[in-house]
Amino acid sequence: MQRSHASIWFVAPAVTLMIILLIAPVMVAGALSFTNYSLGNPSFDWVGLSNYEALLKFSSYKKMFNASLTYVVIVVPLSVALGLGAAVLIQSLRFGGEFYKTIFFLPVMATLLAMAIAWEFALHPIVGVINDSLRYGCDISWMYNFLTGAWYGVDPASSWYGSSCDQFFPLWLGDRQYALGTIAFIGTWQIFGFNMVLYLAGITGIPRELYAAAAVDGADSAWKRFWLVTWPMLGPTHVFVLTITSIRSFQVFDTVEALTRGGPSKSTYMMVYAMYEKGVLHNLLGLGSAITVVFLVFVLAITLTQVYFVNRRVHYS
Amino acid sequence: MNAHVNWFGETMKHAFLLLCSIIVILPFYLMLSYSFKSPVEIETNTGGFFGAQEMMVDSKCVKSGRPEAECTMRPIIYNYTAAFSEAPLLRYLLNGVIVTLSIFFIQVLVALPCAYALSKLRFWGRDAVFGMVLFCLLIPVHAIALPLYVMLANLGLTNTYAALIIPWTISVFGIFLMRQFFMTVPDDLIDAARMDGMSEFAIVWRVMLPTAIPALLAFAIFSVVAHWNDYYWPRIVITGDRDLMTPPLGLRMFKSDLDGDEYGPMMAAATVIVTPLVVAFLLAQRRFIEGITLSGMK
Repeated sequence: MQRSHASIWFVAPAVTLMIILLIAPVMVAGALSFTNYSLGNPSFDWVGLSNYEALLKFSSYKKMFNASLTYVVIVVPLSVALGLGAAVLIQSLRFGGEFYKTIFFLPVMATLLAMAIAWEFALHPIVGVINDSLRYGCDISWMYNFLTGAWYGVDPASSWYGSSCDQFFPLWLGDRQYALGTIAFIGTWQIFGFNMVLYLAGITGIPRELYAAAAVDGADSAWKRFWLVTWPMLGPTHVFVLTITSIRSFQVFDTVEALTRGGPSKSTYMMVYAMYEKGVLHNLLGLGSAITVVFLVFVLAITLTQVYFVNRRVHYS
Repeated sequence: MNAHVNWFGETMKHAFLLLCSIIVILPFYLMLSYSFKSPVEIETNTGGFFGAQEMMVDSKCVKSGRPEAECTMRPIIYNYTAAFSEAPLLRYLLNGVIVTLSIFFIQVLVALPCAYALSKLRFWGRDAVFGMVLFCLLIPVHAIALPLYVMLANLGLTNTYAALIIPWTISVFGIFLMRQFFMTVPDDLIDAARMDGMSEFAIVWRVMLPTAIPALLAFAIFSVVAHWNDYYWPRIVITGDRDLMTPPLGLRMFKSDLDGDEYGPMMAAATVIVTPLVVAFLLAQRRFIEGITLSGMK
């Protein structure tokens, strides 16, 4: 009986911490979302659903959902396609694959906050290298003709590059038309190497004979073999990559807080940042908790979709 | 399939991947380059990668009344000294080490015995505990941040090391991972240890721990990278006290009280913060990739 005694001592700390630090907070968040609680106030009122009503009613929260979903819709397909593309290309190289793999994985490792600041410099409207290079290209005629489409008979002034050359290049993070796209670009830059590694692992697991068999069946180009063998055989990897990328994109915070603070005019006001702003900066914990609950519902929905697909469709072995 | 090498295809692949590599490397290149250059070179985008490294005068140093000769130095020296002297960068790095290592050790201390019990001991409620672990795996950390913040604030613990460490002391992922690993350890090994009269406690730390070293190493990388880079949680619980800031938060403070031409020192600070993990990654790539993609093994 000494053994079962030991097991209680082994399990008790973990169970206690799980209850206090994980399960209770979820319930507390749920409860707080029905109150007008603020830190420092001795008491609070139960306010029913009014925090949730605020989320539906005010335009800033509409912008919040809009920005979060747009971000996910940009980052997920881009980073999945880039990750898969890089994995397939690297796998098919005769040499140098390891080199690219190392480079593409660097952003996954590096402190995102520091790299976000470096991107901010690169994207600086006046001294940044990106706009500097773009401006430089305006004066090189073949570059200008190539990028404005003048070579294919397009009116240079009507193209994006041409009109930017005539006036000015975007402010990127300072322009509400471009800010979300720019943050999404940094997000994609950071995460696609992670997807690449998962896809590389998936590709290594595909039996070589399948490619030979596909070739016999007439898949004579690499392109056909990709769609006939690689793509379907990566089923489980697809589901996992899609899930983890979607969840991570919903959690974007560092770049938003450091570079735009949700602006300009709330165009990058995404959920986790809104949670922080309302709950911590404005001390409106009821409202912050309501955002938390909605966020949790989104993330759980993604996870449950994953479980559904894993159980249903993607078992080939 | 074609036996001869398709050199055209191969070249195109390299061209495309090289282009991608340049974009991926760009911010790293700029960070490093700016950390070498003088303010003028940064503002005018001149000086190539290293800058001309012409002697420059530190105006703040002159204002503080020291002779000009003492305040004249190469930009690279200026940037890195300023990074360490104008912000408590060394303190931030130390905090980063303290916090990440404490988190990792407590996580192992809590998770290892639990994982052992879940995989090798039979006791009432075992399935319930494992179910609880699986349930907790679904909870995203961002969803519990506000309630944890409220709890810690009410206990008066914000702006302490405890606030940085406590929420991460439980890693359900660690428990899950170690349990899966222990399932593969043969029961005979444990039975033999029991025959030798070892207590269950001794078995966990003297038999199971050594067998689990490879899995623990991967978990260590997973945990340390996540918490060294974490910005969200420190941002919430450390509000004023600079002596408690972790590297990313310290860098953020550096950015917000930036005045004019401090880009060089700031990028020097960023370089110092990013370098340890990047160097470790370059030295032990396989292990790092394994560790960071651990969550892919679920």
